[in-house]
Amino acid sequence: MTSSSQPSAPFVAKKLTKAYPGHVALKGLNLEIPDGHVVGLLGRNGAGKTTLINLACGLLLPTAGACTTLGRASGDLDTPELVRLGVVQQDARFLEWMTVRQQLEFNGAFYPAWDLKREQRLLADLELDATRKIAQLSTGDRQKLAIMLGVCHHPALILLDEPVSALDPIARSKLLSFLIDLIREDGSTIVISSHLLSDVEKIIDWVVCLDAGELAVSAPFDELQETYAEWVVTAQAGDLPAVFSEPFVLAWEGNARQARLLVRTAGPAVAAFRERYRAEVTARSLNLDQLFPLLIKERRTAG
Amino acid sequence: MPPLLLINYHNGVPVYRQIMDQVKFQIATGVLPAGSELASTRALSAELSLNPMTISKAYGFLEREGVLERRRGQTLVVRAVAPADLEANKLDPLRQHLATAAVMARQLGISRERALKLFRETLDSSTS
Repeated sequence: MTSSSQPSAPFVAKKLTKAYPGHVALKGLNLEIPDGHVVGLLGRNGAGKTTLINLACGLLLPTAGACTTLGRASGDLDTPELVRLGVVQQDARFLEWMTVRQQLEFNGAFYPAWDLKREQRLLADLELDATRKIAQLSTGDRQKLAIMLGVCHHPALILLDEPVSALDPIARSKLLSFLIDLIREDGSTIVISSHLLSDVEKIIDWVVCLDAGELAVSAPFDELQETYAEWVVTAQAGDLPAVFSEPFVLAWEGNARQARLLVRTAGPAVAAFRERYRAEVTARSLNLDQLFPLLIKERRTAG
Repeated sequence: MPPLLLINYHNGVPVYRQIMDQVKFQIATGVLPAGSELASTRALSAELSLNPMTISKAYGFLEREGVLERRRGQTLVVRAVAPADLEANKLDPLRQHLATAAVMARQLGISRERALKLFRETLDSSTS
């Protein structure tokens, strides 16, 4: 576990804004990444995920507002913080003329806590040949190397930007279970951005969803799963209405006989609903692929 | 005792709920009798590649509900309950399934009598 002198949130953003010429990537973001969680950083293309990760590790500086990483302003990170931070970027750069082993030794030399056993285990698990020249690696193998360079020094905070997108299904699932080992062994906080929602939903316990540079939601994953549901409504007598005006109904499709509704869980409201429309209701849970568009939609209608 | 937990990550049911339901089911079916030890959070996390936070949450709720209790040390064990309560607990999972079946029967417009008859027939055919 991380030392108790650290503030509880390993990353904090306050009114964090990042503007590029002609484009604002993050708009006054307020966010705390909770300690010891596996956080899924979700959002559509251009939502600000990569910008946020680059700000958190000091590769970019805020246009306005501020952010701190492991207790220090993210732009001023120095050795004490950097040895406890692991970053896996989308397009990692290596010393192309080196072999995998040379690059690992080169990076490892910077970190007193570099773990050769973990390095060995990952090489074997991810089936990466350490004698290969980096210039000759496939996209997937480059991604594996980037991951190894980001986690072998027992970081307290790990930021992974689309780490699994180029991996095949078996390497993906091995990597995901390895990330679980990391929280168990090191108590690390892990932030993982991905488009592959069905992959990350196996390991995340917290969801941070960005939409157009703003925070759509930051909440425990299971709380979101219990907040939203899908109802299949079947008319028992008479027709279903063309419009459902209940405030907890977020979307619907269907006809007079049967409709599929996306709802913010209404709990006791089910009975009243059933009564009112003289209909049967079957409730189903939503997985992350189904939840994601709802989270975006909710922010847009609220904002 | 190997934990026989099967987690479905894509049905949207929170994983901690799935763990709770399956532990309760194993208790109701006698797979986990009173006093039996549960795998530690750490061991279960390693075995199933499950987020330890999720397992702690499930165990925490089961402890608060009085299903599990903590022994001296850290070990969680199945709490002993009165035989009558154990019998009553067995009905819970079946009740849930029947509730779903009841909704489906009404959606399909199947009469009470026909549905009851079908349940009886199903019971009989699966015991023969």
